[in-house]
Amino acid sequence: MTTSTTSRRGELSSTALALIPIAIAINVALGHLVQSVLKLPIYLDSIGTVLVGVLLGPLAGAITGLLANVIWGLTLAPSALPFAAVAAVIGLIAGYARQYGALHAWWKMALAGVITGIVAAAISAPIATYVFGGVTGGGTDVLVAMFQNLGASVLGASFMQGAVSDPLDKTITYLIVWMIIYALPKRLLARFGATEH
Amino acid sequence: MQRTGLFIERAGFLQRLNPLTKITGALLLIGATFLLPAPLTGAALLGGVLLPLALASLVVRRFLDTLLKTLLPVLISLALVQGLFFPTADPATVAVGPLLFRRAGIQFALDIGSRLLVVAGAPLLVFQTTHPGTLVQALIQRGMPRSVGYMLLTALQLIPAVTERAARVAEAQRARGLETEGNILQRIRGLLPLISPLIVGALIEAEERAMALEARAFNAPGPKTWVRDIPDPPAERMARIVMLTALGALIVWRVATLALG
Repeated sequence: MTTSTTSRRGELSSTALALIPIAIAINVALGHLVQSVLKLPIYLDSIGTVLVGVLLGPLAGAITGLLANVIWGLTLAPSALPFAAVAAVIGLIAGYARQYGALHAWWKMALAGVITGIVAAAISAPIATYVFGGVTGGGTDVLVAMFQNLGASVLGASFMQGAVSDPLDKTITYLIVWMIIYALPKRLLARFGATEH
Repeated sequence: MQRTGLFIERAGFLQRLNPLTKITGALLLIGATFLLPAPLTGAALLGGVLLPLALASLVVRRFLDTLLKTLLPVLISLALVQGLFFPTADPATVAVGPLLFRRAGIQFALDIGSRLLVVAGAPLLVFQTTHPGTLVQALIQRGMPRSVGYMLLTALQLIPAVTERAARVAEAQRARGLETEGNILQRIRGLLPLISPLIVGALIEAEERAMALEARAFNAPGPKTWVRDIPDPPAERMARIVMLTALGALIVWRVATLALG
């Protein structure tokens, strides 16, 4: 399945080594483009992570997510660091989604996006609550305030905010990745071991 | 070349230290903010440790600038959302103009806010005073996989290049009549023609990089030599042991006080 993730000694293959840094840069560059240039109300900062997960498997996906947030924290926003674990899980799920045949149909990719979004919301809620007090300084804070006003605890409101925002964001991410993979030349896909679809 | 990362080239106090010592120090500070009572600890660590260190390392202006720029939106949001909507049974309120802030909410915002300044500030100071190359080399010499170091440094260098390419793709598609302004639906529809050239190009480049890595035997087994030597005097090794012991003691103390009620 994920033939080219690791070499014989269990280390990352050259393909993974070359693709992961580029995927990290795509996460940061696209996240910036979507949020600041196009000013859309979604994040789209995990396209690279999902792409690597789907192409090279769970391990490579998790590494991409983890390092992407470490780098993001290192360069632009130190507040991205605490969420590195969430990003790693997003990559992990993308890898397993591929193994369960998510690439075979667009609606399977959409389903994988919804599942990833819910899991991501569940893991980020405690981090958002205990490190950031439930807010991130972005537009989604309005949702947190609303849920708290309806009687939710800080943790509950953080989760509900994530449960509204994340599945939408991740579904769009998975669908974009699906379309990109279908647009890729076959020769390139063979290099990444994704030939079965 | 475009600047990447936070590193500022200065000859101050922290710049002379071994990266491992600085990371250990940051860990101790972050641990302390969660283990000792807020908001006093956070304020004391920021004013008594981080700021003097930034001053001694000649980066205090950039340190405060970056810290506030990243955290100010969070702090304002924290004060408003938790000050006004914090779920509490305590009816005590503080009136500020027309707004009624809840006392428990203000307390919560102060606790989290002071902690946040240290949690973000400590790593920020490490990165502002450590060249990424030195940092990664020190970590690899301590057993971090070489591949992780390679990926971290490459990604750091690639971010400005990919950002620039994204802007160029956006311009090229706009020249062909793509709408990047207008309502949300139009902007989402304009997204795919931007993203797919960017990613397909990046994947082709990844293939070339992979071949270059193989040609240079990056994955070859055996020991490697280092061009740079990172000094690690005994005093710093001692300091690291002391800081880790302090962190361990804090954790034990905290667990003990929690267990004993």
